[in-house]
Amino acid sequence: MSLHLIQNGLVVLPNEKAPLKKDVLVEDGVIRQIADSIPQVEGAQILDAGGKILHPGLCDPHVHLREPGREDSETIESGSEAAIAGGYTHILAMPNTDPPIDTGGMVTYVQSMAANRSRIPVSVAGCLTKGRKGDKLAEVADMAAQGAVMMTDCNHALQDEYVLRRALEYTLHFDVVVGVYPDTPALSGEGVMNEGEVSFRLGLQGIPAMAEEIAIERELRVARAVGGRIHIQNVSTGEGVASIRRFKAQGLKVTAETTPHHLLLNHEALEGYHTRFKMMPPLRTAEDQEALLDGLKDGTLDMIATGHAPHTDFEKNLDFAHAPFGVTGLETALPALYSCLVETGKLDWQTLMRAMCNAPRSLLKIDPIAFVEGGKFEAVLFDPEGETVISRETMKSRSFNSPWLGETLKGKVEQVFLGSRTLMGG
Amino acid sequence: MSTQELLQTRKDLLTIGDLSREEILQILDTAKPFKDLFTRSVKKVPTLRGKTVLNLFYEPSTRTRTSFEIAAKRLSADVTNFAVSTSSVVKGESILDTIDTLQAMQVDYMIVRHSVSGVPEYIARHTHAAVVNAGDGHHAHPTQAMLDAFTFREVYSEMTGKRIVVAGDILHSRVARSVFEVMHILGVEVATFGPATLVPETIPSYVKILRSFDEVLEFDPHVLYLLRLQLERQKANFFPSMREYHKLYGVTTERFKILRERGTWIMHPGPVNRGVELVDDVMTYSRTLINQQVENGIATRMAILYHLTPEEQKRLPLPEEIRA
Repeated sequence: MSLHLIQNGLVVLPNEKAPLKKDVLVEDGVIRQIADSIPQVEGAQILDAGGKILHPGLCDPHVHLREPGREDSETIESGSEAAIAGGYTHILAMPNTDPPIDTGGMVTYVQSMAANRSRIPVSVAGCLTKGRKGDKLAEVADMAAQGAVMMTDCNHALQDEYVLRRALEYTLHFDVVVGVYPDTPALSGEGVMNEGEVSFRLGLQGIPAMAEEIAIERELRVARAVGGRIHIQNVSTGEGVASIRRFKAQGLKVTAETTPHHLLLNHEALEGYHTRFKMMPPLRTAEDQEALLDGLKDGTLDMIATGHAPHTDFEKNLDFAHAPFGVTGLETALPALYSCLVETGKLDWQTLMRAMCNAPRSLLKIDPIAFVEGGKFEAVLFDPEGETVISRETMKSRSFNSPWLGETLKGKVEQVFLGSRTLMGG
Repeated sequence: MSTQELLQTRKDLLTIGDLSREEILQILDTAKPFKDLFTRSVKKVPTLRGKTVLNLFYEPSTRTRTSFEIAAKRLSADVTNFAVSTSSVVKGESILDTIDTLQAMQVDYMIVRHSVSGVPEYIARHTHAAVVNAGDGHHAHPTQAMLDAFTFREVYSEMTGKRIVVAGDILHSRVARSVFEVMHILGVEVATFGPATLVPETIPSYVKILRSFDEVLEFDPHVLYLLRLQLERQKANFFPSMREYHKLYGVTTERFKILRERGTWIMHPGPVNRGVELVDDVMTYSRTLINQQVENGIATRMAILYHLTPEEQKRLPLPEEIRA
């Protein structure tokens, strides 16, 4: 039997906008008691959490672990360790591996590897179409039976409305969600950044916002017509948020995610041509940032996903046109969002935790985390006065393509608890 | 101001926007005595003797590379051409690998051209050598813009209040972006003329968009600057045909008559597509400055090389030969 008493922490509780000062008693990984003050309990190990935030463990529904196939950029082990360092206790692995996860056998294979190499649970997504080619449906029922919780072709946008229609219809009888990446390749073309004044100034080919806006509108219309559960990935435009809001108001069952990068950065960051800001969808405008934040607050955007996309130095050191899209995010998301949005008063802890914990958990069909007596203790102790140094030396990920590389962010994940295990710190 | 009073120096020239108005004028002032050298029997000065200038061209170019080569040789530098095919970059040799190799060879100046925007800036961050951007993607071609400003100034010593129209494919043109900047900094009113598909609304706000040749005549430019049209743009549906492009946006025989009567100067960065941007007659017109642009390119590039200083090197005095 193990007993832990966490005293004086600021605890993020359900239905409380701001964290409250509470003591928490944990027995064998289960919360025994939450009270204003719990005096010494015999045999309990005491942790003084004065001034620190105790919040639920995070869940990331969009992580590229690169294994199998590109273990030079990330592995299940390094990616899940990066997740733990960032305060995550559950992640969803994307299927764009090499070979891709497009059969029940591949789902089982990745699950068994993850069981051995990851200290946190890893859910698995399968491909919607064979080989992510966008034309023939993969065996989604078989993958679902093996435990895949989402079917998605990742950044290969479905170009064919017919395939999308059949995919959404076919999955109606299985409990899986279809993840779509909203893009219109005919419009985004060879573009490498948001189309606008900055792309003109830098002489880089632009990706217009309408490439995403049209795709979201098209995908939501198909979903409304045929039913089925659809999840919109990587929303980056204000108009995209507006479309989702409109369809949700009509009662469509849709969920949507945005990323920390799109909330916190815009296309001005590309001045200097640093490829660690090259991502798809591209960083948009300051107005889009505002609209994304509004969408997050009113629930139009259900969740924040990092889209963690590791790439080797060699790939990212190519010129801006040839370097791959994508940035890492697991280790930067919480401190970056905390220091830019929560500390500045633009976002409360409750909304941030909804977006980074229970909304993605609901998408992956895992139990929500609630800090209530009798609840499982899956938590992060976060020091708002601490600092997170983002450097090659400190990062657990095998890749360093973070927009915040070289920076020090305010706030620090100090300890991560999963049931009776302490995954980090302590 | 005498050229000996030059105070400013910099390591790289990547884009016109890096330069102040004073710095631009300094460089243009220095180019003048360099150009005067060309009429002498010995066209060479010892300014960069013992220095190595490397032409690092990732994109084929004969004209610009030759212009830099002659400029560097007239400054007595040793010049090496290093042509790299872009495909090798993608296959496995990164730009950084190449730069490390060249860095080890103690090159003093790198003249960089690349089909992707931002590469010269990236290289400049990773080398002690002075880097001159000889054209990157659609981004910038600062030495072209400087030689254009020099040419403009030979015709109009006072540029403030003069007017220029830059015509053609603005969207894909590094020349247009740099010419806009240099002309704006030097007080010239800038307008542009071309198909709406190739003149995006995102151009700098100081550039006026003209929609027809009548509007061009109303704007009454002192200089009409024609850009080279890449023929592959037609395939991507930016305009339906060369014929229609020429009719709407080119200098046709009829339009040339009006321009000649008005005495409008014509500039073009070359090479010219006859029958597209302009009709053949324009080439022999006394106010066509295309050949002067080429000649001035050498003098201006000499002045630019002189203006730049590789890291940890002291600025060299102007040679005796051009002080007089």
